[in-house]
Amino acid sequence: MIKTKVIPLIVLMLFAAGSVFAAKPAPAAAVLNGFTAGDMPYDVGNAAVLRWPVNPADTPDTVYVVYASSLQTGGWLEADRFAFDARTGKDIDLPFWAWNGSADEHAVKVELNNLFGESLPASVFQFKVAAEKGKKVIAESLPVAVTPVGNWFRLDRLNNLILLIVLIVIFFWAVSHAKRKGLFIRRIAGLDAIDEAIGRATEMGKPIFYVPGIGSMSSISTIASAFILGEVSKKVAQYDSQIKVPHYDPIVMTVCKEIVKQSYLEAGRPDSYREDVNQFVSADQFSYAASVDGMISREKPAACFYMGYFMAESLLLAEVGATSGAIQIAGTDVEHQLPFFFTACDYTLIGEELYAAGAYLSKEPMLLSALKVQDFGKLIVMVSAFFGMILVVLGAKFGWTNFVAGLLHLFKGY
Amino acid sequence: MKLIKKHIPLAIVMVTGVLTLVSYYVPNKVSVNYIETLSQWENIVVAFAFLLGLISLFFSHYNKIKRHADGWGYSVFVFVGFLAMVLPAYLSHGKQMTDAGLTPLGWSFKFIYNALSGTMFAVLAFYIVSTAYRSFRIKSLQAFVLFVAAFILILGKVPLGQIIWSSVLGWTGAGVDQVIEWIMQVPAVAGKRGIMIGISIGAIVTSLKIIFGIEKQYMGKD
Repeated sequence: MIKTKVIPLIVLMLFAAGSVFAAKPAPAAAVLNGFTAGDMPYDVGNAAVLRWPVNPADTPDTVYVVYASSLQTGGWLEADRFAFDARTGKDIDLPFWAWNGSADEHAVKVELNNLFGESLPASVFQFKVAAEKGKKVIAESLPVAVTPVGNWFRLDRLNNLILLIVLIVIFFWAVSHAKRKGLFIRRIAGLDAIDEAIGRATEMGKPIFYVPGIGSMSSISTIASAFILGEVSKKVAQYDSQIKVPHYDPIVMTVCKEIVKQSYLEAGRPDSYREDVNQFVSADQFSYAASVDGMISREKPAACFYMGYFMAESLLLAEVGATSGAIQIAGTDVEHQLPFFFTACDYTLIGEELYAAGAYLSKEPMLLSALKVQDFGKLIVMVSAFFGMILVVLGAKFGWTNFVAGLLHLFKGY
Repeated sequence: MKLIKKHIPLAIVMVTGVLTLVSYYVPNKVSVNYIETLSQWENIVVAFAFLLGLISLFFSHYNKIKRHADGWGYSVFVFVGFLAMVLPAYLSHGKQMTDAGLTPLGWSFKFIYNALSGTMFAVLAFYIVSTAYRSFRIKSLQAFVLFVAAFILILGKVPLGQIIWSSVLGWTGAGVDQVIEWIMQVPAVAGKRGIMIGISIGAIVTSLKIIFGIEKQYMGKD
């Protein structure tokens, strides 16, 4: 009985031993040295940066695979896969003052939200990287734990901050200077023509159409447009002319109502103010354009103002206004709509002029100082661009690669 | 009274403005949440303001109809158009499509709203032609430059123009495509960037004026 059990057991053991000796042992993957992982700087706390040295022995068929896990052990997810010569420290899009990356190391930014969803499942994450050839792992790093944290300052935006601080300093200097001595302000033809347009409307006994565009109240151009409306409606009230302001946005309408009412009050003509000066038309772009076009065609205004944010309706409005014979003054900061206004309107305010228009028309020294700041700002940009251009050309000529790269970082937005 | 009407609103503007500005340089979750909250508030205000707009629209057109003002017939269409969209929306429970096909709302949207919007957009093509005609009248040196640039662009976009270019100016070695590429990439981009720089600085200065209470016209005056 014992014999019948022992013999098959011995045979089985012999087979097992034979197969162990016959199988070639798989070579263990080497350890990828120098692998570090840390929190990605200047972010909200949802990314990590992994770095390890470039291996000169890597061949073109070498592929690196980055893994991430939200668990203590296991649960690895593939975060990235790239060729042996990709993702170096130079490829991280940060300026030289905020990032010290070199082409001698790999640097990979891992966006944890892309892997684990918007709400991260853990506060500590494990990372490892493996080098593969074909489908075989030839080297693998040890896992490294990282705790991503939200940072308190975007050092990469330091250039932007410095420019802002310079502009703020100039701004306050210009405001105090304007208070004390007054400022010389260049003439803007489009704004000088506003008086002419209102006068024409008064003489002809026809209304003025003021179109504030399709921007919301948070758009700078709409805010600027509301300021211009204040000055225009004050003149309209003084001349006892008529103004109509068709609106696309109900909030803009509410603000403009207050502004126009105030202007009539300041002009000493509160009795002339009518509630239907500002009217909501439609919050749909083409319905708005169709409706305003209809009003212009029927009422044949003496003057049309298009000030604010415009898209495709710019030409639809301006062309109908031109056909009706109105004097037209337009202003927008949407640069691709400017050509339409240039061709269809008598005067066009380009972006910055639109922003300056309210101040220019009000003639208040404090507000006029803003025009001076804009000019100084442009001067700074022009001088920087001029010298930057010369330095980049010289750098390219003499092969100062790092210098040129650093210089370009200064002018880049992050 | 001045405190409530003037100082408190100005303080709110300044604090909100500075915090929003600072948020651009602070990547922390706190600032991200702050911006999201502001955005939510804006949406809520917009929803209420829309109702205000609708009331203004109805009152304005109702008064026109009541007074039999010029073109009052058009005002009737405001109400007709409103009902033509709102009634189907109510009957369709706000759904444009069901398993059975288009709902009345879907039908109104597809065959009334989309058709009308498409028509308005199509009108743009005709206006571009009349605008182009006006801009091609050479009255100054700038207008001449504009005309030449536009003429080359138009020429290069049609096969006949490309044939004419090759037969007349082919000896220069420059293809019309290369000339167009140069116009679009060099002078056009240079001009555009100039405008963009001016706009950006203007936007910064306008924001500073509002944040620091220099510009407060939107609140009325003392």
